[in-house]
Amino acid sequence: MPNTAEVVKPVASLMGVTKKIGSKTLVSDLTLDIPPGQIFGFLGPNGAGKTTTIRMMVGLISISRGDILICGRSIKDHFEEAVANIGAIVENPEMYKFLTGYQNLRQYARMVPGVDKKRIHEVVELVGLGQRIHDKVKTYSLGMRQRLGVAQALLHRPKLLILDEPTNGLDPQGIRELRDYLRRLCQEEGTTVFVSSHLLSEMELMCDSVAIIQNGKLIDVKQLKAVGSEILPAGETLFEVSDPEAALALLGTGVLKDGGVAVAADREAIAELNAKLVTGGVKVYGIRVLSRSLEDQFLEITGGEGIG
Amino acid sequence: MGNFAALIHNENVKIYSRIRTWIMLIILAVMSALFPALFYFTSSDPSTTELWNSFQTTVSVSFFLNTIFTVVIASDSVAGEFSWGTIKLLLIRPWSRSKILLSKYISLILFSLLSTAVLIVFGYVSAMIFSSSSGLGGASVSDWSPAEYTFLGILCSYAELFVTAALAFMVSSVFRASGLAIGLSLFIMFAKDIIAAIFSPERYEWAKYLIFTHMDLHGYLLTDKGPGGSTLGFALAVLAVYYLIFMLVSWIVFRKRDVAA
Repeated sequence: MPNTAEVVKPVASLMGVTKKIGSKTLVSDLTLDIPPGQIFGFLGPNGAGKTTTIRMMVGLISISRGDILICGRSIKDHFEEAVANIGAIVENPEMYKFLTGYQNLRQYARMVPGVDKKRIHEVVELVGLGQRIHDKVKTYSLGMRQRLGVAQALLHRPKLLILDEPTNGLDPQGIRELRDYLRRLCQEEGTTVFVSSHLLSEMELMCDSVAIIQNGKLIDVKQLKAVGSEILPAGETLFEVSDPEAALALLGTGVLKDGGVAVAADREAIAELNAKLVTGGVKVYGIRVLSRSLEDQFLEITGGEGIG
Repeated sequence: MGNFAALIHNENVKIYSRIRTWIMLIILAVMSALFPALFYFTSSDPSTTELWNSFQTTVSVSFFLNTIFTVVIASDSVAGEFSWGTIKLLLIRPWSRSKILLSKYISLILFSLLSTAVLIVFGYVSAMIFSSSSGLGGASVSDWSPAEYTFLGILCSYAELFVTAALAFMVSSVFRASGLAIGLSLFIMFAKDIIAAIFSPERYEWAKYLIFTHMDLHGYLLTDKGPGGSTLGFALAVLAVYYLIFMLVSWIVFRKRDVAA
């Protein structure tokens, strides 16, 4: 798989970014390029420095050392030009509760050039708020506020969409919809999405690449699709069987796991092993590939500490 | 990028979309209209109620309320955004923080002008209805005509409101706490006379540089010499310096502040 990150100019570059408050270092020497047209995950346990990093990217807090370029412009020295390329939700999407969703969007629409009523309706359609957009925000559920938050971030067609823990408070259906329209945005409008989360499984489903941060330090950047394709052919396969010990003896290979037998096998081997078990009188209830999830890798990388 | 008027429009929407704002304006209107009637009906001989006298008293009482309401708006201007959490969405737009703060300040001043206009219109019309003769009001002891005297008196009251609102705006911007901003401003509004009496510039030379000594400018309508022998020009200069400090502190803190709440 060719690495596009090296040939295309990154949408955002974090260069040796450090944030210190007093003697405490929240983010330490973070260097990271976010390539365009991707959904880029930012993964780390709570308190790892994700939100601090995002706050620096959007200019809400100062950068102690280093710099951040958004589309080539420094957020420190050319804030207005740099931030014009960003749409963001930082933490919870807080809105003016005494205004309607629509009036809230009008607020943000007025602050950027070229956002007309048509665009507002377009965005409202995209996030699926429908007629509720004309209700006061104080009547909204958390999920609806989250949608409104995404809508305000998308109004001005930003090149970079930054979402801090966007799945917080969404129900499974909402999470799925969010995933779908982030994917659509990324593919149809070429928007780069930078999304932080401590929900590993969520990242795995959503992102193309993921940067892992712990204790304010960048630990690893992984391309998820690449990781997946490496694992699948030589993956571990779990046979759920009636009598694991007998199955293990029959197969002559593998280990006992989760009330079944885990064997390293490819497609053809799986069929043969299955036949062996069935003819040997062991009932097979299920066969599934145990691809190592991001969660396992994440726990491995971060040493399994400080999660949650 | 964009249009600065849109920013002020945004701030106005935030102020006038809240029911609270309208309740304050209605209370102000009712109070201003009520006082002249009260004076009229409680006086021993209603036929001696004079227009200017009644109107001036109404203005001086209603202006307390006007100042309080303006301080409430000023206090919420910045602190409200922080407590609502909306500051995070407001500051990530392609506008410098200075301009955002300026739009807030301008919308605050616009509100104070509106509320003052409400006070004047309702107070004056009511005073016209509930008076028997025009009279001279406080102008009797000066060279001003009653209308001039009243107008200048309103100007002095507005100057006081203006400085108090600037203080509230600063506290709101620095401490992000609207309660503190309201409390502190009201304390100064009510305690300034006591403080000015204790630290009188007649006794202490340095007291003539205190803001409290000069917040009430009404005395200059009748005499050229103010507290401690200071002139109107000196008083205005002291007020201007304080005002500039309030504004400078608001802007510096707001521009530099890390928004992490």
